[in-house]
Amino acid sequence: MTTRTGEELRNKQQTHYEDVNEGQMLPDYVLGPMTPTHIFRWSAAIENWHRIHYDQDFAVYHEGLPNILVNGSWKQSVLPGYLKDLCLPDGWMWKCSFQHRAMIVPGDTITCWAKVTSKKVIDGLGFIELEVGMKTQDDIETCPGQATIVLPLKGGRSVPYPFVPPKS
Amino acid sequence: MTTQQQSYLTPEVKAMVGVQGEKVEVTIWGIEKEHLRRFVHAIMDPDPRYWDEEFARTTKFGEVIMPPIYCTYMNKTAPGAEDPISRAFRNNPVSDGIGGLDRGRPGALPPLPLPQMRVLNAGNDIEVFKYPSLGDRIFSQQKYGSIIERVGRDGSHMLIVTNETIFTNQKDEVLCITRSSGIRR
Repeated sequence: MTTRTGEELRNKQQTHYEDVNEGQMLPDYVLGPMTPTHIFRWSAAIENWHRIHYDQDFAVYHEGLPNILVNGSWKQSVLPGYLKDLCLPDGWMWKCSFQHRAMIVPGDTITCWAKVTSKKVIDGLGFIELEVGMKTQDDIETCPGQATIVLPLKGGRSVPYPFVPPKS
Repeated sequence: MTTQQQSYLTPEVKAMVGVQGEKVEVTIWGIEKEHLRRFVHAIMDPDPRYWDEEFARTTKFGEVIMPPIYCTYMNKTAPGAEDPISRAFRNNPVSDGIGGLDRGRPGALPPLPLPQMRVLNAGNDIEVFKYPSLGDRIFSQQKYGSIIERVGRDGSHMLIVTNETIFTNQKDEVLCITRSSGIRR
């Protein structure tokens, strides 16, 4: 994928359970390079006034950081959004867990990625287990985690909305 | 440096598992288009399902949707409230912009009966069931989901405390659940 536009998402064709296999890398998505303006826009949108995200003097000289930092909350919103896109138009991003392992700073370009670790059919729906993350241009993993997405089977039933998890 | 060689997981701490905070509304004026617009620009997600109402009606969702954990970012300063930024810098001219900006933390969990400890983020977990609709009122309720003890190689004890927050709408439909784990040592 590497980039995405509104038109691509509007017209996205469904990926089915049968289309993915264990070990497969799913299309990635690249954002950036990140700038202080991107970071400030996020802080303002969620009213997070922590100075390490927009005050470079404070971040570097008071907190000892290499630069202002991309917010962890931004990462934890972008990663599920990327998984949402992989599932469109009929699948569902059910679960995602991750850790904040490394800092993202201005100048970094981020690649959201997902690798299939297993898959199974439950109640006529395809449950795909993924290893996921957000790597920098230097191949540093900033946000490793796991996710479960739900895809329809070819010719199978739609994924329910609101999503109803399987009982087992 | 000394390390804690005794368990932190006392009966009083164990008894906090499952303890819930008050269920509180986190929206001020409900889910709004304008904030959604700013939010999706900030996460750089161009999906027309967020803004093209005519197209959104043709999708399986039947209406404009929100980013998966959008409803977890509703806690804002209410109009008419004391300006938390001015207060923070009045109290501490070198405020980091977080300390002293507390919005009152409605619905917060009672503190654990523990000594002062360092807290490190150990990870986040989200589960999503439904997107909020425009105009929805959002409510949240926290609880202590689990408290687990680990012992390091040096014999020091630490706790992994997981807070679970359930976000619901005005119909009491569960939208998403977030779990945030912190290491206390």
